[in-house]
Amino acid sequence: MRRVLYVMPAALLLFLAACEKEARVIAADQPQTPPRGAQDPRAAAYENNAYQVSQGGRYFTWYGCGRCHAVGGAGDLTTAGARSDLAHIYATVAHGHTSGSRIPSEQIWQIAAYIRSLPHIDAARAHRQDRDLRGEPQGATWSGALR
Amino acid sequence: MRRMVLLACLLPLAACAGRQSPLAPAALQAEWLHWLLMLMFWVCGIVYALVIALLGASIWRGRHRLAAKPEIEPDDRRLSRGLGVWAGMIVVGLTVLILGSFVVERQLADMRAHEALVVRVTGQQWWWRVQYRDPAGGGWIETANELHLPAGRTARIELGSVDVIHSFWVPNVAGKMDVIPGRANAIDVTPHRLGWFRGQCAEFCGAQHAHMAFDVKVDTPAEFTRWLAAQARPAAPPTGAALVVANGACASCHTLRGTAARGRAGPDLTHVGGRRSVAAGTLPMSRGALQGWIAQPQALKPGTLMPAVALSGAQADAVAAYLESLK
Repeated sequence: MRRVLYVMPAALLLFLAACEKEARVIAADQPQTPPRGAQDPRAAAYENNAYQVSQGGRYFTWYGCGRCHAVGGAGDLTTAGARSDLAHIYATVAHGHTSGSRIPSEQIWQIAAYIRSLPHIDAARAHRQDRDLRGEPQGATWSGALR
Repeated sequence: MRRMVLLACLLPLAACAGRQSPLAPAALQAEWLHWLLMLMFWVCGIVYALVIALLGASIWRGRHRLAAKPEIEPDDRRLSRGLGVWAGMIVVGLTVLILGSFVVERQLADMRAHEALVVRVTGQQWWWRVQYRDPAGGGWIETANELHLPAGRTARIELGSVDVIHSFWVPNVAGKMDVIPGRANAIDVTPHRLGWFRGQCAEFCGAQHAHMAFDVKVDTPAEFTRWLAAQARPAAPPTGAALVVANGACASCHTLRGTAARGRAGPDLTHVGGRRSVAAGTLPMSRGALQGWIAQPQALKPGTLMPAVALSGAQADAVAAYLESLK
C-alpha cells in the first residue's frame, strides 16, 4: 500500500511530461517568415508539437486541400510527408498552388508540419482525425455545418 | 461602513435590468421562462420561510427544557396531524411546479406552428456565423456576431457547430440551447420589445469562450426588411492599398460579396463596418479597433484562429479605413 503512495505522484508527473507536446504560446505574436532552408531550427518546434500539427490539419481542411489530397485517395500526401523536409513542403504549398500564396506564413508552417506528421499516424488515428475535421469549413464551396 | 456594505449588497441587483438578463424579458419565450422562474421563487421561498419559522418556533418553545430529559409522547395527536398537513403541502408545492413547467414547455413547443422566418446560426471557435434567406433569391445572406430579429414574428433559429459544443444563449429573448456538432438543434424566439440585447456562448468551448458574444437587435418589421435588403447588397470594391483584402491573405478566410474574396472559414466581412463589435464582442466597432485587431489579433484575443498577417503600415491603414466604410 505504501509503495503505491510513493509511485502515484511519480506516475502523475509522467502524465504532466506529456503535456509539453501540447504546449502553445498564448501571447502577442508577429507574422512568421518562411523557412530558411532545410536546417531552419523552427521546423522541429512545429513538427514536434501536437497543437501545431492539429492546427495544420484544420487549415488543410479549411483551404479545401483535402479535395485533391484526401488521406487514402489518389493525391494522398503520406509519401510526400516521409520523403521531403518541412522547408520543401512549405515551398510547394506556398508557390505550387494558386491559392497557396494567400495563406499566411504561420499557417503554412502548420500545414507543412501536419503533412510531415502523416507518415507517423496509424489508421485508427487517421480515422479519428478525419471524423474530427469533417464538420469544419471545407474550401470555398463549403455550404455550412453538418446537421 | 455599514452603509457601504449595504450598497455593495445592492450592486448585483443592478445587473438584473441589463441587456443580458433573464429578469428583463423581451420575447414571449423569455416571458414564460421568467414566469416559471418567479413561480419557483415563490413556491420555494414560501417553503423555506415556513421551515425557518417552524424551526425558530420549536427552539423558542423548548428553550427551558433543553437541560431536562427529553419527553417522549408516543401518541401526540397534534404532532401527527401537523406532519400530515406538512406532507400535503409538499405534494401541493411540487404539483404546482410540475404543472407550471409542463404548461410552459407546451407553450414553447406550440410556437413551432407560428414560425415565420428561419435564421441559421453556426457556432465556431470563437464567433457566430449568422445566415438569413435572401428575400430576392434562394441563397443565404451571411453576417457574423449580430442577430437582427423582427418584433412580433416567430423566428426559428437553426443551430449548428463546426468544431466543439457551444451553447446559444440570449437571456432577454429565450433560454439556452446547446449547439452540437453534427446535430440539428433549433430554438424559436418571438421578440416583442425593441432594442439591443447581448447573447453569449454558454458552454465552455476553449480558450476564448468568454469572448464569444454577439449582439441581438430587435427591429420593427419594416426596419428589419430594410436591414436585410442592405445586408443583401454587395460590398463596394476596395481600391489602392486596400486591394489586399480581395487578393491577399484576408481573402483566404473571409468573404466580401462583390469582390474576389471568397474564403469561407472566417466571418463574412461584406458589411462589417455596420456591426457593433469587432471579434465577437471583444472590442466595440471603430476604425482603431479594426486596425488593432488586424495588426495583433493574438494580443487582443489570445488563441484566436485569426493570424497576424504581414501588412505594411499604409496597407493596414487602408484596410481598416475600407472595412470601417462597409456599412
